Amino acid sequence: MLKKAENILSKIPSADYADVRIVDQSSEDVATKDGVVEALESSQSLGYNVRILKDGVWGFAASFDLSETGIDETIKKALAIVKASTAHKTSNVQLDELEPIIDSYKTPIKEDPFQVSMEEKIKILLAADTAQKVSDKIAVTQASYQANRERKYFVSSIGSKIDQDIVWTGAGTDATAVDGPELQNRSYPNSFRGQNQTRGFELVRELELEKHAPKYAQEAVELLTADTCPTGEFDIILDGNQLALQIHESCGHAVELDRVLGYEASYAGTSFLTTEKLFNFQYGSDIVNLTADATIPGGLGTFGYDDEGVPAQRTYLVKEGKFQDYITSRDTVSKLHELNPKYNKKSNGTVRASSWSRLPMIRMTNINLEPGGEAGTGKAWSLDEMIADTKYGIFMSTNRSWSIDDRRYNFQFGTEIAWEIKDGKLGRMLKNPTYQGITPQFWNSCDAICGRPEWTVWGTPNCGKGQPSQVMYTGHGASPARFKKVKVGVVKW
Amino acid sequence: MLGEEKLKQIAQKALSFSNAYQTEVLLSVSGNALTRFANNQIHQNVAWKNLGISARVIIDKKIGVASTNAFDNESLKDVMSRATELANLQEPDPGFVSLPKPQNIVKVADDIHHATEEEMAAGAHTVIKKAQKENLIASGAYANDVSEFAVANSLGVWAHHAGSSCNLSTIVLGKDSSGFAADVARTPSEVDAELVAETAVQKTLESKNPQDIEPGEYEVILEPQAVSEMMAFFQWYGPNARIYHEGASPLSGKMGTQVFGKNITIIDDPFHKDVFPMPFDFEGQPKKAITFIKNGVLENIAYDSYHALKYHQKNTGHALPAPNTMGPIPLHMYIAAGDKTRGEMIKNVKRGLLVTRLWYVRVLNPKMLNVTGMTRDATFLIEKGKIIRPVKNLRFNQSIPEALNNVVGIENKLTPLASFEGEMISLAPTLHISKWEFSSATLF
Repeated sequence: MLKKAENILSKIPSADYADVRIVDQSSEDVATKDGVVEALESSQSLGYNVRILKDGVWGFAASFDLSETGIDETIKKALAIVKASTAHKTSNVQLDELEPIIDSYKTPIKEDPFQVSMEEKIKILLAADTAQKVSDKIAVTQASYQANRERKYFVSSIGSKIDQDIVWTGAGTDATAVDGPELQNRSYPNSFRGQNQTRGFELVRELELEKHAPKYAQEAVELLTADTCPTGEFDIILDGNQLALQIHESCGHAVELDRVLGYEASYAGTSFLTTEKLFNFQYGSDIVNLTADATIPGGLGTFGYDDEGVPAQRTYLVKEGKFQDYITSRDTVSKLHELNPKYNKKSNGTVRASSWSRLPMIRMTNINLEPGGEAGTGKAWSLDEMIADTKYGIFMSTNRSWSIDDRRYNFQFGTEIAWEIKDGKLGRMLKNPTYQGITPQFWNSCDAICGRPEWTVWGTPNCGKGQPSQVMYTGHGASPARFKKVKVGVVKW
Repeated sequence: MLGEEKLKQIAQKALSFSNAYQTEVLLSVSGNALTRFANNQIHQNVAWKNLGISARVIIDKKIGVASTNAFDNESLKDVMSRATELANLQEPDPGFVSLPKPQNIVKVADDIHHATEEEMAAGAHTVIKKAQKENLIASGAYANDVSEFAVANSLGVWAHHAGSSCNLSTIVLGKDSSGFAADVARTPSEVDAELVAETAVQKTLESKNPQDIEPGEYEVILEPQAVSEMMAFFQWYGPNARIYHEGASPLSGKMGTQVFGKNITIIDDPFHKDVFPMPFDFEGQPKKAITFIKNGVLENIAYDSYHALKYHQKNTGHALPAPNTMGPIPLHMYIAAGDKTRGEMIKNVKRGLLVTRLWYVRVLNPKMLNVTGMTRDATFLIEKGKIIRPVKNLRFNQSIPEALNNVVGIENKLTPLASFEGEMISLAPTLHISKWEFSSATLF
């Protein structure tokens, strides 16, 4: 296929720059509900795109049709788009320097999920599904498994030739308990399709769904009669699986340079992290260290090269609380050089497309809150120590709802479950917990972060962005952390 | 586009490769283009075309689904083989009875219009020019989506339709304000770029210098875009047979009872003059207008073949593509128009907020159908029937059923609105709601 991509590239007439991506995507999904396999699906999609920079503007066209005629039509379409855009341009797109790369990358997996028999996958899920039926209050039990493989073949006019074989796998369970008007959910190990990582079937085995799911189903039943989370300003401890989404929404999206430059204003919005804040804005307290790291083993945002052929990297976004960097692309970073002359870095390699038919754009890789005690400030807490150190607070786990404004300031999250902390001890279970805040105020109230033993890279496989819409898989390393005086219980139930 | 006859041949060939008890194929052919602009310049301009086939195979109530994006013989055999293999691995689904049989489907003429790159760029440029004239910054997208879709099954179902849409939307940014407008139409010439530009620019200018406002309970005037964004969640969690029978819908167990105010009628009409017609669902079953809520009383919910047979109800033609774990969903649902003009409704507000749009709406609890979200792109304070000043955006936490019980005014017309992806059109009137709970403010 790399040869095919080179053949397509060779047909593109003279341009400032051009690249070609052929992508062969395979996926399989299994979903069970109430002891029955409800969805069993195998999907394949093969196609390619050409991206041409000519006369200072981009043209992009994609097609499933790999015949010579189809390729000619696709290139012609991309050039027609260039022409139409040129008529109204006011400035030229510039790309930062990039050395050509010839390489290949393969996700390191122990057990290829596509080679494990479907019988075994179904058996694992059905066992986990039925194990959740712990009470007649359990109205719905569900379990799911998904695996994806992307074979990407990238060539560009600067001489890069890169092929990648990226695999990611995920699984989880979900129990719904209903009693009259009351409905409560518990999922394991995380909500919205469980845990997902760039790993093989070994992840599914390690999750031990059947073993753990009943505990969570029992919690769903107990939540039906639990007290409602109180309203007020309290210290809160967020479990790692909730903190992962907090990082995603309030940091990950906020540091996307295309948003900051207004390129996403028509849909997802902009960002409060404007370019004059770079290097001087106190994003969080001095124990807050946030990174974008596409090199973490198993992270859902881990790869070898981004879709512009830039190597995967680790970048500090926030160091000791101070805002340090964005996630960038070759064209946006060039724009940033103009806006902030202090900034002299190249693209940090975060550009990805969700399929062959979509334009590559800045996407989160693995955006992480570094473990406590590892970046010069703060200490590595354990969760037990953190609870023992809290006089009154709420410990919240597993996301249930999320929402944030279009500049990433005002957020509100709900979690599936919470427990009250009194005098350093975990107490009563609480239902319907919610909390709300303003991003920099919230991160500046962070006073304790658990260490590496409790740090996990959680997968978020459903990140939406762009027009046309693209759903991307991203990762977030997080361990439980404590935040002071947060507005809790903001919803009337 | 390949045309009905060609697609029918492909469908028949694909079905001939299956030896299963029952087999269904969905075929799609699409051509899409999108011109995106930001900072008063076109910055992303893309086109893509694709096709797809999805096969659902049933063997002794065991179901497997496979898909691919190629129509050659080898691919058709492979997709059928994969679906069959998956079905053979399944346990029987006791809730499954049969794929649906053929029904009479109203034939709607194919209606395809391709927008050229120049037409799309010109639409974007119209908005940009208008924004520049007022020293504002325009961003937005012009999308043209053309699709052809067909369903066939081994019981003789055959359904085919082709259609297209053009959708221009913009958010215009000022120094401390923004304004939204959009238009959606069948043909490029029907897209009113001037009106889109004028509306968004006007909103941006009117919402300059927004002031802080205390969160709390307010009367609201929700403009059609905001109503549509609210009702999208009712669409998924309200009259959905799966969720209804699981007991997880706010409507569960309430058939025939008063669930909303007497002034609320909610209809799903795939043939409404202002929507893109959709004559059949993803199982090739006919669609027709259906009233879910009449004068506040729950009269019907949406069924597909699986849930209709399982619960001994009539199939209402609301199937989504298999495998569907969401349940049957109405895709052409709207609140029936009332008798007030927008101006009259504003005059009736003692103290409230005029909301242009909602943003990032998410469900807090599906059973209660309470949602959270933000206001966006121009919010105004109304006092004693007059718009007083723009205000900064607020977060709300609001039960949708409660809101639909507190509607005190409904606009006398419906506005067509494009969905995010542009291919579906929803309709919505402006609503005057007497109570809406805002819980916190943001900084802009």
